[in-house]
Amino acid sequence: MAGCKTYATERLSAFVDGELPAGEAAAVRAHASGCPDCTASIDGLRALVTNARALDVPEPPPTLWPSIEGELERRERFAWLKISPWRPFGIGALAGAVAVAVVLVALPAVYTRRNGPPAASPGAEVVAAAGAAATDPLLHEAEAEFAQAAAAYERSIEKLRALLAREEARWSPHERSRMAERIGRLDDAIARSRELARRSPGDSAGNEQLFAAYQEKIAFLAAAVHRGGEAGDWDKPGGGGQ
Amino acid sequence: MDNADAVMPVKPPTTPMLGATAQLTAVDGLRLGARAAADTKVHAPDNDAALVDAVRRGEAGSREALYHRFKRRVYALAVRIVGPIDAEEVAQEAFIRIFRGLTKFRGDAALATWIYRLAVNAALSHRTRRAAAAQPEAGNEIDTQPSADPPHGDAVLRGRIERALARLPVGYRTVIVLHDIEGLEHEEVAQILRCHVGTSKSQLHKARARLREMLAADGITAAALETG
Repeated sequence: MAGCKTYATERLSAFVDGELPAGEAAAVRAHASGCPDCTASIDGLRALVTNARALDVPEPPPTLWPSIEGELERRERFAWLKISPWRPFGIGALAGAVAVAVVLVALPAVYTRRNGPPAASPGAEVVAAAGAAATDPLLHEAEAEFAQAAAAYERSIEKLRALLAREEARWSPHERSRMAERIGRLDDAIARSRELARRSPGDSAGNEQLFAAYQEKIAFLAAAVHRGGEAGDWDKPGGGGQ
Repeated sequence: MDNADAVMPVKPPTTPMLGATAQLTAVDGLRLGARAAADTKVHAPDNDAALVDAVRRGEAGSREALYHRFKRRVYALAVRIVGPIDAEEVAQEAFIRIFRGLTKFRGDAALATWIYRLAVNAALSHRTRRAAAAQPEAGNEIDTQPSADPPHGDAVLRGRIERALARLPVGYRTVIVLHDIEGLEHEEVAQILRCHVGTSKSQLHKARARLREMLAADGITAAALETG
């Protein structure tokens, strides 16, 4: 760095940008003409700006748009909960609708059992209730929305898997095996969450867990695709997956 | 995340872009840096206002067109503020905010300035969350140990500049990224950072001085900067 302390680097930077008042700029110019240190500083600042402007522009990974699109789609699919008259109740309203449906179906069965044969078995009541729930329009709509969101995640995963397949050809058998193992674990998590969601139709918690599992898999695949041949980074922090 | 030692990605991606099959059709009408032109990859209205209208009307492909128009600027900003590892997450969050906020965009500022503002906010929020969850950021100190290898060639020099930039305090880094790298004017930087123009200028000059100091400590002289 320059040894001359007449002008601080900040002032020389302002001089380079033409921001100094005319008088001060003239003084700097006059001083620099006889000061190799300040001349070097000014030239270095100009070169720094030139180099900064020429820095590479990193290309976003190919997974960025699919992940944005998927996230927008996911949020928009659930936006109806925020604008519908059910908003104050949210998913709780769905649960309430299911409860009402169960009661409406179960009451006649109980009444029949008390007042005359033949009473339906408890198992049959559950089946009947489930059937009623499945025909409930509100619940049906919610389930359809969840299914569409899940399908959007599946499509994103398929795209990423196709991209990854190109990279996999370059990997060693060991790396392919590790990848298969990681994906297997993520798939297990998705399967468990899907089962949980299936058992509790209309319950957002199960579906949220399922979507979190999808997102985890997408993040992992995206990281793997982004790293290309650097397959060994999967297990490092920021490597996606677990 | 500790960004201090983060190395900026300089190699091209190894995989093709999804959905970017169309020709370059338009150049951003705004001045906002020479690197803007390469961002548009799908058929889209030439001017930003028409594109915003198309997105608001829900026209097919308009969102993706807007994404392609600004993706490199948003992503580059994210890389340089939060580092390459978190950049994708930040860029995703920035674009979510952009698309969700587009209905509220009144056109008081240029679209690109507004987008930069959301991107900077997303990056800074991310850093704040990370800082709260982890240890304080390290690496803002100047490395006084000169490198054993003198820099040679443009790529090496720019790599050194990127690394020094990553070690700057985030406020300095942000202003130098917006002004010197992205080529914005101080008026735009001030709008994005919600500060006075004078503050933008003084921060920039301090940032450059600090960067020069770091580079000098790394053995990069003014002459080396000039010759590349």
